[in-house]
Amino acid sequence: MKLFNQFSILLFAITFLAFSACNNDDDNNPTETPGTISVFLDNKLGDERISMKESGSKDYQLTDQDGQSYNISLFAYYVSEIELLGPNGTQYLDPLNVSPNAEEVTGYYHVISTTPNSNVINLENVEAGTYDKIRFTVGVNESGVQQGAAGGVLDPANGAWFWNWNAGYIGFGVEGSASNSGQEYVDRGNGFETLEGTYAVHVGGWKDVEPAPGEDKKFVNNIKVIELDFDSAISIKEGLTPQVHINVDFAEILKGIDFSTTYSVHRPDLGKPFAEKLINVFELDHVHQ
Amino acid sequence: MYLNSTMSTNSRQQLRFPTSPVFYWACLAILLFSACSEEEEPTPTVDRYEFRVPENFPAPTYTFENNPITKAGFQLGKALFYDPNLSRDGSVSCNNCHIQATAFADSPVHPLSVGVDNRLGIRNAPPLVNMAFFPEFFWDGGVTHLDFVPINAIESEVEMDETVENVVAKLNGSEKYRQLFKEAFDVEEVTLPFALHALSQFTNRMISANSRYDQYIREEGESLSALELEGFSVFKAKCGACHSGELFTDFSYRNNGLDSTFADTGRNRITALESDIGKFRVPSLRNVALTSPYMHNARFGTLEEVLDHYNNGMVYYKTLDEGLIQPDGRLGIDLDASEKEAIIAFLYTLTDTEFTRDTLFFSN
Repeated sequence: MKLFNQFSILLFAITFLAFSACNNDDDNNPTETPGTISVFLDNKLGDERISMKESGSKDYQLTDQDGQSYNISLFAYYVSEIELLGPNGTQYLDPLNVSPNAEEVTGYYHVISTTPNSNVINLENVEAGTYDKIRFTVGVNESGVQQGAAGGVLDPANGAWFWNWNAGYIGFGVEGSASNSGQEYVDRGNGFETLEGTYAVHVGGWKDVEPAPGEDKKFVNNIKVIELDFDSAISIKEGLTPQVHINVDFAEILKGIDFSTTYSVHRPDLGKPFAEKLINVFELDHVHQ
Repeated sequence: MYLNSTMSTNSRQQLRFPTSPVFYWACLAILLFSACSEEEEPTPTVDRYEFRVPENFPAPTYTFENNPITKAGFQLGKALFYDPNLSRDGSVSCNNCHIQATAFADSPVHPLSVGVDNRLGIRNAPPLVNMAFFPEFFWDGGVTHLDFVPINAIESEVEMDETVENVVAKLNGSEKYRQLFKEAFDVEEVTLPFALHALSQFTNRMISANSRYDQYIREEGESLSALELEGFSVFKAKCGACHSGELFTDFSYRNNGLDSTFADTGRNRITALESDIGKFRVPSLRNVALTSPYMHNARFGTLEEVLDHYNNGMVYYKTLDEGLIQPDGRLGIDLDASEKEAIIAFLYTLTDTEFTRDTLFFSN
């Protein structure tokens, strides 16, 4: 009994200390009501907003440094594991949940050109406080894939971009036409076709399995984590509607591509050079209260 | 039941009563205990839908916490499994290539899968047993979660050639299915993830763990003949490095010397590595006597041919498994006639006819 009592006192002391430590952070008072924040992903091609074209259209929007003219007819990417970070180590993690029930899927966002406003992510119930940095994942990593069939933006029958055979989600994809694309017309049957002069770059691949000793690395993991500092700190609390504006520049991911030879990218290893450029694609524009 | 005629005498011997005195003491104790109780105990009802890990099996890999097997979910999965409406023209169901009599492998008359419009696939459909314990699926391991397996069969143009969107639309148009989904998952609308969960419930329940080998290894009163035991011993020494564990596979991908050029590059299709060209998953050997033809491309019709291949039929390619190259450079595994006979006798003990005849899986 005596031992138990001493143990209880110790436990109480530790709990009290831990609790006090939390309260020392003046910026994040847990008693304050949580707030909301909106993250705007402003999709661009160079300095301009993307002017979406029909697939196969020869109406090009941009001419790159190599003289290739191209446009965009379709794009989509996943954003997940959004975190807000504060100057004093405060942290808010947007809750992640995978479920077959669409309403219960949280924390995964599919920004897709055919879905209006999918580029605006509203985070609710964010712990009140000061934040000066955002971190998020482009793609759906192992924890999102390996829980099995999921609903909502992760449902392949509901618009999810999913690879069947090498199963997993396409983290970042862009399609369009280019003046020098080597793509010829292909009739894929059942009404599906690939038009002449088009290109498609799909970046997927999430496996991160370490190879056995002496073996080559088996898989390409193209999941990328993006971390962006705010130009000024923002406050989140009830009644405020802060916004984060991030430019997503598709010219950056296509920079250096030779459309005459690279016009059909549908494999993790082929997507890797593009995945490496994702860090340049996402850039903070500004934040405001 | 036992296709190898040399074994039939022996299998009849297994019907004799146990001779161990412990057995009779146990019976006596049970009788005495029964006599003491005043009321007759109700027979405990066995939940046949519950997922149970066989005593001699490893831990399952499936995410049961997200999708436990229920009676209603299993019944919905079964309805989907046997429904040809999952295919574009209503002609092909999962059952077309996965039939219970062959442990849910394809019929021997379909060495390669046959899809809509009689389109021919490129691989032999493997048996669907004990998948709850598999880390990866298909001959090349491209799918890492059981839930995603059926999407491939549905959307493959040489199999069902249908889109998952259309499957969902067809199911939503059926009053019967809307009711089954409601009962299984309490949802008003049919969606793909719940359909996939139902199919996983049905296939996860396909546990085959009651072969004579299992009853022997679990010491349930079964014994193996001298020939079978000899085969078990040779098997462990000469095949067990790859066909290891209670599922008789280490789930690795290996080139076992079938070809030197590859139209189907196997594991390389997933990893894109040259070092994986011509590698395919080491298959489980449970029910192997029922699952002819053998190999991903259905190369061999009999187990004898398979063992002849391992003995002296191999072709060299740079990815050939190192374990199949002998120190003096010869290819394959030395097996004499008596060893082959013994191994095959042992492989027949892996046949689980209780599973292949289990009415639980019969189409309603």
